[in-house]
Amino acid sequence: MRKYIVLLSIVLTTSVLAYITTYLEAIGLVGLDTRYLAKLFLTLAYNPLARELTVLSPEAVTSIVWDFRGIDTFYETVVFYMAIIAALAIYRGVGYPSIRSEKGLSIIVKVVTKLLIPINIAIAVSVAAHGHLTPGGGFQAGAALAVISVLLAVVFSASSFARVGVSLSKAIALRTVGLLAIAAVVFVPVVFNALTGVQAYLMQNYVKVDSEFAFPTHIQSQLISGTLIWFNLAEFLAVSFGFFVVFMLLSLREDVVREQLGEEHGH
Amino acid sequence: MIEEIVRYVGAALLVLGTFINLVGAIGLNRFKNFYLRLHAATVSTIGGTFYPLLGLALISFSTKDLGEWRFFMGGSLVVAAFVLLILAPAGSHALARATHRTSVSRPEPIIADHLEEDRGR
Repeated sequence: MRKYIVLLSIVLTTSVLAYITTYLEAIGLVGLDTRYLAKLFLTLAYNPLARELTVLSPEAVTSIVWDFRGIDTFYETVVFYMAIIAALAIYRGVGYPSIRSEKGLSIIVKVVTKLLIPINIAIAVSVAAHGHLTPGGGFQAGAALAVISVLLAVVFSASSFARVGVSLSKAIALRTVGLLAIAAVVFVPVVFNALTGVQAYLMQNYVKVDSEFAFPTHIQSQLISGTLIWFNLAEFLAVSFGFFVVFMLLSLREDVVREQLGEEHGH
Repeated sequence: MIEEIVRYVGAALLVLGTFINLVGAIGLNRFKNFYLRLHAATVSTIGGTFYPLLGLALISFSTKDLGEWRFFMGGSLVVAAFVLLILAPAGSHALARATHRTSVSRPEPIIADHLEEDRGR
């Protein structure tokens, strides 16, 4: 009975919300024009005629995520950053074990995975570098690259991270470099302002009504959309190695972790 | 002329893929134990996806209206088909191997199990 009440309330709420957003808004009963906002974003995402408002990126989602509503994404990145800090805090004092002879899956799976990993890296880099042109971007590319860490842990065993040259501290360092790169891009206009005296704002991308500062839009006729490519590449680095850290920690055997944490936590 | 032939070969591969998918689905429903059902599932994931992807690649290569983009589309499809061709068997191999090693599924009757004999159990 309880299940049916929950189900019924979900269906009712969904249909009422759908009715409000489609019909009531269309005939102007609710004073909330969400379509207008969408039209505005779509018109301005790539619009060389409106230089003071556009992002010059044909990918509307990336424009919204990194420019129109940039603060949202910085906040999301910070949440992700904090989550990894929490994971590291829980696992503090756990050293990654040095190489042991662990077997992993059969040779067939290993060979196929070795063929797959270069393809995976190529796809991840292309998704990140085309983030301002095609769907995708830094976070998606980072998640695609982080698949490699799961493949390594499952197919080749957790000791294979050391063999391919990824250690926990290196992954943390690379992730921090990515986050610092995001912060650097954010602060470039401010530094520019301090050095030259030209009016420029935090997180600014292109010229504004009272500011002449602008990031380069093209590199040798290749569209790079100002800050977007730098944000995407930096986020790619931060997210991929952030996930690497988490998956490396999760791939540790429980008895190894307990053994190392043993005395401190009294298990 | 050659475009027409390539297009028909592509369409034939699509039809072949549909047929293999149907066979795989019937097998998945009808077969009795885990290993046989895994075989049927692999038939439809490999045969039923590899051939249609190649067929679509041939069709996009022969569609002149797409301009240069047809090579982009067709090339992606060929790469996807190749990746699938090597990945799906590896996945089903890993499944079958893990099942055999952990003895989760013991099919009845077993006529010969050379892997078990080699392990000497």
